[in-house]
Amino acid sequence: MLIELSGVSKIYNQGKANEVKALADIDLEVEQGSMVCLKGPSGSGKSTLLAIIGCIFPPTSGRAAIAGRQLARLPDRFLTLHRRETIGFIFQRFNILPELTVLDNITLPLLPLGVPPRERRQRAEELMERFAISHRAQFPAGQISGGELQRVAIARALINSQPIILADEPTAHLDTVLSQEFMEIMQQLKTTGKTIVIASHDPLAFEHPAIDRIVIIKDGSIHVP
Amino acid sequence: MAQRNLEKQLNILDYALSSLWRRRLKSLSLLLVFAAVIFLLASFQMVTQALTDKARQVLVYTPEITLQKMSVGRQEAIPLAYREQLAGIFGIRRVVPRIWGYYFDEVRLANYTVMGMELGEMPEGARLDTTLSGGAMPGTDERGRVVIGQSIKKALALEGRTTFSLFRPDLSLTSFEVSGEFSPDTDIMTNDLIVMGLAEARDLFAIPAGLVTDLCVYVANPTEIETIAKKISATLPSVRVLTRPQIQKTYQVVFGWRSGFGSICLLTALAAFVILAWDKASGLSPEERREIAILKVLGWETSDILAVRFWESVLVSGLACLAGMTAAYIHVVYFAAALFRPVLMGWSVLRPELHLAPRIEVGNILLILAFTVLPYLAATVIPAWRSATVPADSALGG
Amino acid sequence: MFLNPWSLALSLCSLVALVLGAVAGRTAVRVLRFWEPGSDSNRQIRLENEIWLSSTLVAYGLGFQIITLILFVLAADQFCQVIVGAMCATGALLANPYGMPALLVKLVGIFFYGFWILIHQLDIRSEHYPLVRIKYLALLLLLPLLVLDASLQTLYIAGIKPDIITSCCAVVFGESAGDATGNLITGLSQQGLLAAFLVSLAGLVLAGFSLLKRWRPWLAGLYAVGWLWFFGLSLVVITSVISSYVYAMPYHKCPFCMLKPEYYYFGFALYGALIPAAFFGASAALAGLVRGKAGLRGVVDRYQQLAIKISLVLLLIFSGLSCYHYLKYLISGGEG
Repeated sequence: MLIELSGVSKIYNQGKANEVKALADIDLEVEQGSMVCLKGPSGSGKSTLLAIIGCIFPPTSGRAAIAGRQLARLPDRFLTLHRRETIGFIFQRFNILPELTVLDNITLPLLPLGVPPRERRQRAEELMERFAISHRAQFPAGQISGGELQRVAIARALINSQPIILADEPTAHLDTVLSQEFMEIMQQLKTTGKTIVIASHDPLAFEHPAIDRIVIIKDGSIHVP
Repeated sequence: MAQRNLEKQLNILDYALSSLWRRRLKSLSLLLVFAAVIFLLASFQMVTQALTDKARQVLVYTPEITLQKMSVGRQEAIPLAYREQLAGIFGIRRVVPRIWGYYFDEVRLANYTVMGMELGEMPEGARLDTTLSGGAMPGTDERGRVVIGQSIKKALALEGRTTFSLFRPDLSLTSFEVSGEFSPDTDIMTNDLIVMGLAEARDLFAIPAGLVTDLCVYVANPTEIETIAKKISATLPSVRVLTRPQIQKTYQVVFGWRSGFGSICLLTALAAFVILAWDKASGLSPEERREIAILKVLGWETSDILAVRFWESVLVSGLACLAGMTAAYIHVVYFAAALFRPVLMGWSVLRPELHLAPRIEVGNILLILAFTVLPYLAATVIPAWRSATVPADSALGG
Repeated sequence: MFLNPWSLALSLCSLVALVLGAVAGRTAVRVLRFWEPGSDSNRQIRLENEIWLSSTLVAYGLGFQIITLILFVLAADQFCQVIVGAMCATGALLANPYGMPALLVKLVGIFFYGFWILIHQLDIRSEHYPLVRIKYLALLLLLPLLVLDASLQTLYIAGIKPDIITSCCAVVFGESAGDATGNLITGLSQQGLLAAFLVSLAGLVLAGFSLLKRWRPWLAGLYAVGWLWFFGLSLVVITSVISSYVYAMPYHKCPFCMLKPEYYYFGFALYGALIPAAFFGASAALAGLVRGKAGLRGVVDRYQQLAIKISLVLLLIFSGLSCYHYLKYLISGGEG
């Protein structure tokens, strides 16, 4: 199992007046090469779950093993070191830095790894070719179309050959055509062996045929219909 | 491992450069203000240092030991007869009498320094000939001939004439003929100087025969200055013994004091700048917050972001230093420190036109770095840390 | 004599260092009181973040310390021009009883900051952060050193009164020992010193290479002690033997003048090799002390190998540099 959560809960501001129980007793297993959709309205806790799978913060209690590593009790620094080797992130609205060029945006995750410029370029060029954005390499990311932006975001999530791709509401601000395109690319990635977790409440995403499993999150726990 | 670390720092440096460039308006304004502060401090430092150097250079021409008679705590004329009492002290090369004083020219409202000496008696090497830019020192038997400094030439408005007159204390006139002038290189000492024979000076100030203002003692071996000075002091207890190293130290203290005082004034400018830097660094815009959160999700550690901020500070301060110090050098060398002249050289009515040549030394550069870059780095470290600890999850929506 | 740019710069640096130290000290107290490994409470997250602040502050402290050490010596060299009788930095530093202690505390400070950074770097390599408590206790111990440093320096500057007769370095180190000026280094024969220097050097090289082949903790301890001994000995040898060859003046024995441009900043190269060499040589054994902590074994082993290698390379450079002027003198026979 690439992702193994058992009894995971997350409480913000524990012991304070503003304590929030975001997740309670989550059990979830995702095997390598599968594509899972976390479905639920905003505020249901699916972003928190995605952040725990994405090694952004550890769970308050329970066991969470991502790509073979226990996250509980791990300091922030080691979550980061683990995250950059295993998780490729695709954000809502893609979170591309608009003043940087497309090439620089794609290679951002490689800078703290100490990858020299030539190798960075080489890796980015392969991906840009694959996603047909090579001609935009030197453009500021703020000046390219929505479809190209989406492919830049996907390329950035793949640049360090991470085995897991996490997408947070990727289609929320896209039109139907681009949403379809996004899901098709995800489907292709799945065939190359990537494990994909998408958090979304957009039918275009969770009703896509490539989705192996839909996990419904409601009030911080997995809802079994 | 080490290779990776180096590559990583280079990558981060690269990112810091591009980040500064993206915020070029902010960076540039900070850089300019910083460069201006460094310019002020560096100019001040360079001027003081160049002046100290210059004074030392010129002091080469002063005698190793100067003797003055003190009475009631004030200086008074010293009898020539004291020379005989010094004859027994071993190591003295020569004792030359001198009349040295100030002449206030009531017509031109200027102060001249007058030095009357038996020039023929001065030992080789101590004569002032080498400082002349034209003409010659008056000979032993030539009467009424003088050598003048640059600003005296201007004050007297000679324009081709070679003679001028000055009043004696009884308001009768005595005339002089210019036989040479001092070079502008030694302006700091010779600018307002008139050198004449001992007899002319005695005549001009109406000093009785047998008295002079001071006795110049030339010593054969410079390492014996202190010993000889002590012996003279023991032989002639009523005489003030000034040695050249002592005069040099006095200059150093005065220059150091002035420079220190100036630095304190400039520290206010520095403090203002540091507050500005702190303010600029701590105001984190939503775009910057978002950028940092994205970088962190993409696998940048807190220490990586701190390194970006560190390199940004180093780049800004390095460039500001380069610009500020270059400007200061130009200001001091080509504009003779026009901004600070009134503060640093308030001792003479005639303002010498200076040609300053500061030395560039590691120590001085380090001093300026300590005054400017270190406070700047210290002021930006806490804001940098605040920005580096923006949590990664703030990049996630919903 | 505070109204002098050098004194002002030194005081400013000390003040800044004290403020940064106070901030780091606050973190240390908080970490020692509230650290809960494994908790995801807001306070623990804050503390984990503050670790980065305090380590950056100590790293800055190290940088500041190196700069102020150089600045202090250069300042003394400036002060000597206003103190009657002092001909170089040595005379100025001996002008009052605080000069030399201030210099030594600054030097010791560099080592301690360096050791702290080493412990921090080892600590953050293990996901358990096993050295957190030791690290912040050590940080609290650094603070008195910082205060001592600043006070000695302030006392020294305050005590500099232009026109106090001090002994110049030719008298301090010269062979006319016997007057009451309190010499720094006397009664040591040059041959004896050189012999000790060469024997220690050979010993260090031998111990270093055998440690690289097979690690033995007792030998590493000996190596560290050997480095501290060699460091002190080198300072003496530089002062009483090497310096006069650098200056080409038999009675000019001063460890500081070689930092000046007249001698092509030779001293920066010499001390720039010696101080880090001693640091790395001594630190290998220090790192060995924490080898038993969770998750540190591999990291410490790798560091120790690296540190021994660095110290040996720097030792080679240092011995080359210290022989250079002597060999030049032998070959040219003292002619230029």
